[in-house]
Amino acid sequence: MSTAFVYRATASPQEAAVWTRRQILMTDLRTIVGRAYPRVRGMAREKSWVFFEVLLPFLATSAFVFVYRALQAPPEYIGFVVLGGAMTAFWLNVIWMMAQQLWWEKSQGNLELYFAAPMNIMSVLFGMAFGGFIMASTRAAAVLVVATVVYQVAFAIDQWILLIAVFFLTLAALYGLGMVLASLFLMWGREAWHLTQLLVEPVYFVSGLNFPVARLGMLGSLAIAILPLAVGLDAMRQLAFADSAYPLGTPGPAVEALILVAMTVVFTLLARWTLKTLERRARQEGRLSVRWQ
Amino acid sequence: MSGFEATRPIPGTGSTGAGTGLAPPEWGGFDPARTRGRAGDVLRSFKTSTRLGWQMEANWTDPLLFFIYSVAKPVSSALILVFMLGVIGGGGNPEYRAFVVIGSALWSFVLSGISGLAWSVLDDRERYRMLKYVYVSPSDFLIVLLGRGVARVAVGGMGALITLGVGVAVLGVPFDIGAVNWPLFAIVMVLGLVSIIAIGVMLAAICLQTRQESWSYPEAVGGSLFLVSGAIFPILVLPSVVQAIGLLTPLSWWIEGVRQSLFPGGITSIGGTGSLFEMLTGQAAPDAGQIVLALLAAGTVTTLLSIAVFRASDRRAKDRGLLDQTTGS
Repeated sequence: MSTAFVYRATASPQEAAVWTRRQILMTDLRTIVGRAYPRVRGMAREKSWVFFEVLLPFLATSAFVFVYRALQAPPEYIGFVVLGGAMTAFWLNVIWMMAQQLWWEKSQGNLELYFAAPMNIMSVLFGMAFGGFIMASTRAAAVLVVATVVYQVAFAIDQWILLIAVFFLTLAALYGLGMVLASLFLMWGREAWHLTQLLVEPVYFVSGLNFPVARLGMLGSLAIAILPLAVGLDAMRQLAFADSAYPLGTPGPAVEALILVAMTVVFTLLARWTLKTLERRARQEGRLSVRWQ
Repeated sequence: MSGFEATRPIPGTGSTGAGTGLAPPEWGGFDPARTRGRAGDVLRSFKTSTRLGWQMEANWTDPLLFFIYSVAKPVSSALILVFMLGVIGGGGNPEYRAFVVIGSALWSFVLSGISGLAWSVLDDRERYRMLKYVYVSPSDFLIVLLGRGVARVAVGGMGALITLGVGVAVLGVPFDIGAVNWPLFAIVMVLGLVSIIAIGVMLAAICLQTRQESWSYPEAVGGSLFLVSGAIFPILVLPSVVQAIGLLTPLSWWIEGVRQSLFPGGITSIGGTGSLFEMLTGQAAPDAGQIVLALLAAGTVTTLLSIAVFRASDRRAKDRGLLDQTTGS
């Protein structure tokens, strides 16, 4: 039988509750697939996202392209904006559908079910991240392809492998940060909703979404040290526009890739720790099932 | 005896009024007009929902954090543009800086106005699950939504004001209060806010039909209008077809009106050499009268359209049982 849940005769309920490693692994994998499923499947059920989350963000990105055109900026700056516009899909996904998701689930009454189910809650977070990544990837790819064609962005890539590695490391670090925020927002409650909105434009600014982050000086360096979007975008710009005169002041792409590796590890461990700590605190204070606060 | 006849004693008459057929009793009886609501009822609904909206916006935190939250977004948007100018070398021109700071400050109004109404629908339906109760209450649903939206417009207004203040005090935007055309400013602000709320009503109607993920839709719609409204660059750099769309949008005229009233003689976002506006009118830039007329016309069409869209969405939502539907992903 392929299922992990093979019937076995046990002497007591306590013995039945002792799971094998395989059962635990299979349950967690199923949890990841199960939590990712509504996000991936939902894309086919609600078609309006194609208009609202592909076409309209493309137009928003275009607005910044036209600012540079009005200023007669060098062509690579239009490429910087297009790349930044594509990456916003991931950031918006992280803050709207990762960071505040557990708090949202609490408000919906699902959170207590998550904690009561025989699975690791980190699997839920991984599932949310995986589903969100699929959702955001389609949107980012659409914006990138359409904008590249429409605005004739010319990429100059020498190190394809490093660029692909940096892209995936950026996403890993971003979703790791999303998992940390999900745990924190669970505790912050209603403030989380407002903080989500606070994390859009200010983060765009300090990440240098539409201009090289090196122009921000110390603030840019700080952003590179703590924000995956800032460091990932900077590394990708250096790699995707290798022939342009990129402003000095930030580390090279290989160093930035290492920063992203460190961020991924730190954020994932931090997410695990914060989730455990905050879950314990929430249980003690009886806040796991308290809604709308 | 009719079920609509009074059965309790009428003060001062000693009679119950029974036995007089379908004629109303002497004290007037039940007034069916009350079910339709009067101006006072509409005003009360509006005031209550405005107060509720404000409480929901502001009571989650202390005033300092609320202030930071309210201004961080528009100020950051302005800073992004100011840095973009600085990177390319246009930062030295104070007129450019004034142009982008005003555009991004006004845009916080637009985003607040649009999102306030749309999020009211999503909040009440998906989060608090109160939409069906609000809907069946005696208040007009549209009035309740408008009231809820006003609170967010107020937050957006505060953000816009602070952004302008930061622009003048920190970013070197030249501002002469004595040169401001106050009558034009007052007229375009009123007409512009009505247009923004009308767009918000349209988006609320759309969110009534869509699912929980629609939280980001107002931002997306705002972003697309950003392109055609001349908020951060003159629309003459756009293709003529897109310029034409911009000229049909009330927001373009509102932003132009506010710019021309606060900074008379500054860079125009509508006109300019080679613009569609110049080709159509032969003028380099619109004057105050043209701005008001165009804003009035575009705003009226948008408002009428928004009411029609809202009513159609309202009917469809009832038809398909969307008012108490909750979704998730």
